[in-house]
Amino acid sequence: MNKPVNKTFGCAALFFGLFCQSILAAVPEYHIQLKDHLFFPSRIIIPANQKVKLVIDNQDNTPEEFDSFSLNREKVIFAHRKAKIFIGPLKPGEYGFFGEYNPNTARGTVIVEHSKKESPDAN
Amino acid sequence: MKAFSRLSIALFYSLFCISVSWADGFPVDKVYHPYVLANERELEWRLTSRQNDDGNVLAQRFAYGHSVSEYLTIEGYIVGERDDTGDFGLQAYEIEARWMLTDQGELWADWGMLFELEKQHREDIYEFTSGLLFEKEFTQTSLTINALLVYEWGKDIQDEFETEFRLKYRYRYLPALQPSIEIYTGEDFVGIGPGFMGVHRYEGQKQLKWELAFIAGLNGDAKDHTLRFALEYEF
Repeated sequence: MNKPVNKTFGCAALFFGLFCQSILAAVPEYHIQLKDHLFFPSRIIIPANQKVKLVIDNQDNTPEEFDSFSLNREKVIFAHRKAKIFIGPLKPGEYGFFGEYNPNTARGTVIVEHSKKESPDAN
Repeated sequence: MKAFSRLSIALFYSLFCISVSWADGFPVDKVYHPYVLANERELEWRLTSRQNDDGNVLAQRFAYGHSVSEYLTIEGYIVGERDDTGDFGLQAYEIEARWMLTDQGELWADWGMLFELEKQHREDIYEFTSGLLFEKEFTQTSLTINALLVYEWGKDIQDEFETEFRLKYRYRYLPALQPSIEIYTGEDFVGIGPGFMGVHRYEGQKQLKWELAFIAGLNGDAKDHTLRFALEYEF
């Protein structure tokens, strides 16, 4: 086999390994409700340096758009639907988010801490 | 596992594409992110001005795009260019589809695919572009890569495959100001230079994005500079 072919297969194997690792790793879930244009809980505590999944249940009759520059995420959550948003691994700190359609009320914060503590009202 | 299946197909397709050929076209253009936002519509204007020893080439694109699902967006373009006599006129039409393969942050990196079909105005020249869009976050920075395969055909052109490679490494400093380094390669062209982008939000989904980059060709020509500018109004 010549060198370019070896390189191609090497790259493919590397990417395949990374995909498998990403898919097989368990990701903790944190559930948030959106009702009356308010996120509940509005403060989510997650562990540092670990990927987590936010599952947001929009119970309103209108769609909302989750937006956060510090988390680098944008996602539309349709009315009466759930949306999953993967965040992290993150350094300790506070990361704000808001709903683009109702920015004055739909606001929240992801708090990243070194020790793993779950928010008391997170599911 | 749906994301894994989509991604496997896309990856092997891209590896095949990259191994086929190299480009002789002009590859400085937008570096695409692999993301689609549901319910989004956008108006876009792009300007590219290239100055080299042969003179100036000016191209402008006007586009309207609409996301048709959470994972797919369609955009139509009209392309204007300044011709050999200095007149600016309609040059081509184009339709583009961008497909988000994985949710942002779901896997080690984020993946998407791009498909474009272009027809030259008044000439029997067609161009079909397809390729892989990649983005990986490193804390406050993001690396975006586009690996594209272009096939040109028609009575007025020799049929050929080309490949293009675009890279942007961006520091997400502030929403309004995100500096970057951009790299473009194709046959007989390697270019690198600084870029900037920013977002200004209005209410709801309305926002204005801008991009500016100055790319210097490193392919041996005495002078080869490209300025590219883009405005996107999303609503």
